[in-house]
Amino acid sequence: MDGIHDLGGKQGYGPIEVDDDESPFHHDWEGREWGIAQCARTPGITIDWWRHCRELIKPEDYLGRPYFDSWAQTDFSTYIEAGWITLDEIDAGKALTEDTNFGNPVTAMTLQQVLQEDHDHAVRFDAEIDVPVAFSVGQLVITARHGNKGHTRLPQYARGRRGTINAYNGAHVFPDLSAEGTEIHQHCYSVCFAAAELWPESEASHDKVYLDLWESYLAQA
Amino acid sequence: MPEFDAGKVAEIHQHLHSHLPSESALRVKALETLLVDKGLVNPQTIDAWIEAYTDEIGPKRGARVVAKAWCDAEYKNRLLQDASAAIDELGFLGKATAHLKVVENTDQVHNLVVCTLCSCYPFSILGIAPAWYKAAAYRSRAVRDPRGVLAEFGVAIDEDVEVRVWDSTAELRYLVLPQRPPGSEEMNEEQLVELVSRNSMIGTDRKLGADSKGKG
Repeated sequence: MDGIHDLGGKQGYGPIEVDDDESPFHHDWEGREWGIAQCARTPGITIDWWRHCRELIKPEDYLGRPYFDSWAQTDFSTYIEAGWITLDEIDAGKALTEDTNFGNPVTAMTLQQVLQEDHDHAVRFDAEIDVPVAFSVGQLVITARHGNKGHTRLPQYARGRRGTINAYNGAHVFPDLSAEGTEIHQHCYSVCFAAAELWPESEASHDKVYLDLWESYLAQA
Repeated sequence: MPEFDAGKVAEIHQHLHSHLPSESALRVKALETLLVDKGLVNPQTIDAWIEAYTDEIGPKRGARVVAKAWCDAEYKNRLLQDASAAIDELGFLGKATAHLKVVENTDQVHNLVVCTLCSCYPFSILGIAPAWYKAAAYRSRAVRDPRGVLAEFGVAIDEDVEVRVWDSTAELRYLVLPQRPPGSEEMNEEQLVELVSRNSMIGTDRKLGADSKGKG
């Protein structure tokens, strides 16, 4: 999806607002949203579906509202789409049915339990697959000219561009299909692009940009 | 269960745009109220997650990994080979770091990390990402004008140094291993930890030590 989220290389967003404040949260509500996002998940949801739901936020809201606000809106949308809460309940500001059908309410976790869960939540996305790899390190490749109409992790700025395979990452869950609820693994590579290949003003540059890309985004150059 | 219906989600966002209060604090309050009402989240667990990422999990973890790598060549080798296993030796493996890669700065190379498509970040080793990392200005410019971005952080990169930008487009996450500052040879690991800034592990700080801008 060629959405507002695909920001790489877009111009006009101004200088970086460098901020030396290292507090993790600048407002109480940001911490609340972080916590909600950690402890609440709808069954069957995938990280790629959640990301896609965030990408579907109206552009003016995506750019104009604070970062964790967009997480809250994404959470609302995934819960509503999966039927766990309803638009009527949003408007009412409370649950409208006693029969939540979600089993017992979740119990409280302590700090120690949460730290353990963070450690246990080091989710791996790779798996062994029987398909041989199509590319080897050092090989020249060219990326697809167009993206997927749904979720994809091939940014617009790196489409139709020539790069070099820098490393093989293993077979990882393919995001374009994971965002539709289908989990398949596909070979994933670190691909190196010369800045000069990506940007008209970088012709004389020797800088590099590295992306992690799935095999079906790539063809032999 | 989700139906993975993007059209439906676009309609939901439209509804939320006009039906939710405009203030972020009230929107999040509305979400928490509903989810607690439904028994889907527990408010004390939310408190515990806030505490975990305020007091326990943050850039101090990354700084410890860097200082250890500076002091212990074998640890550094393990870190560069398999960073997830190496941080697990210190108990720091966790959220978003199962596929961690460490990229090393040298006299000839400077590394910079970004996520142009969302805001992917190695949470369990660096904590919550800084606001600028998640903002449109950084996400749009880091891949196109990295030297200009670095200049705004007060970091000048010599012409002969190659800048490598790592766009986190898959589930791999990146941690920059900054160079050990000159003059720190006598310092022990504990003292070195204090020299490692958060930004140096993202790549928006380069020269650490006495003239470093400190924690930034």
